[in-house]
Amino acid sequence: MSDASITRPVEDSVPKVDGAVAVGEDLDFQRRWWRFERIIWSIFALILLCDVLEVFGRGYFAKAERSTVDRTMHLKYERVEREHAPSIMSISFGPSAIRNGEIRLFISESVVKELGAERIIPEPASSKIGNGGITYIFPATAPPATVDIALSPSRPGIHDFTAGVEGAEMVKAKVTVFP
Amino acid sequence: MAVAAVLRAIFGYCFLILITRVVGRRPGAQLTPFEFVLIFYLGGLTLTGMVADDISLTNAFCQIVTIALCHYVLTWARTKFPTFGKILDGTPLTLLERGQWRTDVLRGMRVQDDDVMSAGRLCGTRSLEEIDLAVLERNGEISIFKVKK
Repeated sequence: MSDASITRPVEDSVPKVDGAVAVGEDLDFQRRWWRFERIIWSIFALILLCDVLEVFGRGYFAKAERSTVDRTMHLKYERVEREHAPSIMSISFGPSAIRNGEIRLFISESVVKELGAERIIPEPASSKIGNGGITYIFPATAPPATVDIALSPSRPGIHDFTAGVEGAEMVKAKVTVFP
Repeated sequence: MAVAAVLRAIFGYCFLILITRVVGRRPGAQLTPFEFVLIFYLGGLTLTGMVADDISLTNAFCQIVTIALCHYVLTWARTKFPTFGKILDGTPLTLLERGQWRTDVLRGMRVQDDDVMSAGRLCGTRSLEEIDLAVLERNGEISIFKVKK
């Protein structure tokens, strides 16, 4: 094998003006690029405006509330969340939710998996699984009674969930999780 | 998820390239304090989102390799396709030619005549009349060509 490098003659692909300096300027391209930049900055401004208006969550407009018709349960949650960002889902119970000195709260699996339930406050006395979710049993005396669930969504997307007192009307809702 | 980590790394790399490209070229061979703030702040913020909750060495290794591969592909595409090179790096732009400012270019690139004069001083010129041609290069430097005597 030869040790010599592969070579080719030197050619200047950039045309010279008056035999002077070859700048290689492309003003047409640059003008198109400036137009693109203006569009991009408009999009960025729009995204920022949406963020300030809390369209992407973590603000007033992301908060949602749902109640059952029979008033056994009132749910406060965030309809728009962000992946791995902490939030609280708060469930308040009416008098009819307390049966035999306890509240049996059913939440669907998606609250634990997709919405990433990390902690339940207060700790339930016991829990059981089945029907596509978990039923938590809390000893209770009289209203007001509230259970908070600390969430940290694990996956972006639109996730359905169900929550309610066992044997009563259930609340079904959706949460949009941004990456 | 491993795929998500790779996709996050690719997104972070491409997004930062877009941002640095649309933020524009600042004239000068060296970084100004402005650019230092921009680069470190953007880097730090991007890192948080890209790494997410996976702080393992495996994740760091895979994301570094992903970015290295992206960079390799982009540099290859830049040499292969001239238009892509222009999109990525821009094109040299004449700021001053034979005693005439290119005002649309100065405005578009957010360059001041003082920046040209500053580059001229580095080349030993004392006034703008001594400059025949000033070109904003793709790396942000301003090349000065003196009037032939």
